[in-house]
Amino acid sequence: MPNRQTQDFDYDAAIKACAAGHRPALETLYRQEGPRLLGVAQRLLRDRAWAEDIVHDAFVKIWNQAGSFDAARGSGRGWLYSITRNLALNALRDTARETDVDDDTAAALDARHAIDAWQDTRDAFDWRASAGQIGPCLEQLEPVRRNCVLHAYVEGLSHSEIAQRLGAPLGTVKAWIKRSLQALKECLA
Amino acid sequence: MSAPQDFQDDRDELAGEYVLGTLSAAQRRDVQARLTHDAALREAVARWEDRLLPLTNLSEPVEPSRSLWPRILRTLDASQAAARPAAPRAAGLWNSLNFWRSLAAGGLAAVLVLGSSLALRPAATPGAPQYVVVLVAPQSQAPGWVVQAQAGQSAVQLVPIAATEVPPDRALEFWTKADGWAGPVSLGLIKPGEPVVIPLDKLPPLEPNQLFELTLEPKTGSPIGKPTGPIQFIGRAVKML
Repeated sequence: MPNRQTQDFDYDAAIKACAAGHRPALETLYRQEGPRLLGVAQRLLRDRAWAEDIVHDAFVKIWNQAGSFDAARGSGRGWLYSITRNLALNALRDTARETDVDDDTAAALDARHAIDAWQDTRDAFDWRASAGQIGPCLEQLEPVRRNCVLHAYVEGLSHSEIAQRLGAPLGTVKAWIKRSLQALKECLA
Repeated sequence: MSAPQDFQDDRDELAGEYVLGTLSAAQRRDVQARLTHDAALREAVARWEDRLLPLTNLSEPVEPSRSLWPRILRTLDASQAAARPAAPRAAGLWNSLNFWRSLAAGGLAAVLVLGSSLALRPAATPGAPQYVVVLVAPQSQAPGWVVQAQAGQSAVQLVPIAATEVPPDRALEFWTKADGWAGPVSLGLIKPGEPVVIPLDKLPPLEPNQLFELTLEPKTGSPIGKPTGPIQFIGRAVKML
């Protein structure tokens, strides 16, 4: 399990030490964040071995690109997650065989479907305890829209996979996600 | 709504969907290509990454298998070995401004050491080429050691020009490999900070571009006869005029 609270660990300093070629700094980052990064990758990929491949690639990338990390552009910890999530999502999407329905057609077909049908959807995620500062903003979303956002971010589901999961039309799901992102952005501003 | 506002919203929406993970493989590739030159998109993505980061807490940590960290290390060592300057890269190093900038700091010391050791060495075999190798740290390219050798003589001299720190449970091992050799050959363990003469009588004559490196190994040297630890200093033989 991760060995220290995130607020007690200086991610930026460890990344800078990696940039200077200090191998033990990379190991410190691995011990500190490896289990959480693997957890995120495994949830996205739903495959343990594949997730370990991604975390392997992520740490190689962290080492090789530590010099390009810019603390002014974001937190060091966030940078580790962005690298890992992007590798996992690229891998997930590259292997997907789905073809997207044409957006406009889908939207037109779905226009008749009212959002009310999904109003009573219950939470699919136990997000309240761990969502931190985004929590109150998630709270403001209707449960079904909140589920869309979390199915996408946490589980790596595509628009059409979410539509299937919820039994909702694709265009509706796309619109929900678009509006949910807008609402989260305004709430977090 | 004005056009620039629309444009900004579109970009922000794209960044949001990218970070959320809902874009297709092709769309992701487009965004990643744009990120290399579109600073505004890069900023929008960074803001979304920051906004959504707390959601990573929703995934339970998973303890990695014991083999994962050694596997990461093996990949780093292998890629470092592959990045060892092969001929074209060596030219890149020698042409690199940073390399010469960093060398300038240690350059005076190198010249002094070279000058004194050249003066002390036994009379050169007339006509035999002289070789010199400046061993630099792979990341900082700070020079740490100078190797000098004369093709006619079956020994090289390894001279420290900067302090080398070696952890107490580790040792520095000296290696060489000419182009065309299957792998590096150990020239033995080296004490940090001490000049040493190393016989090369069991090896073929020195060649231009021959690789020399110092790696960090277990106390008694690499257990497998090949470098296993990180490269501390590396350089290639250059024929002196």
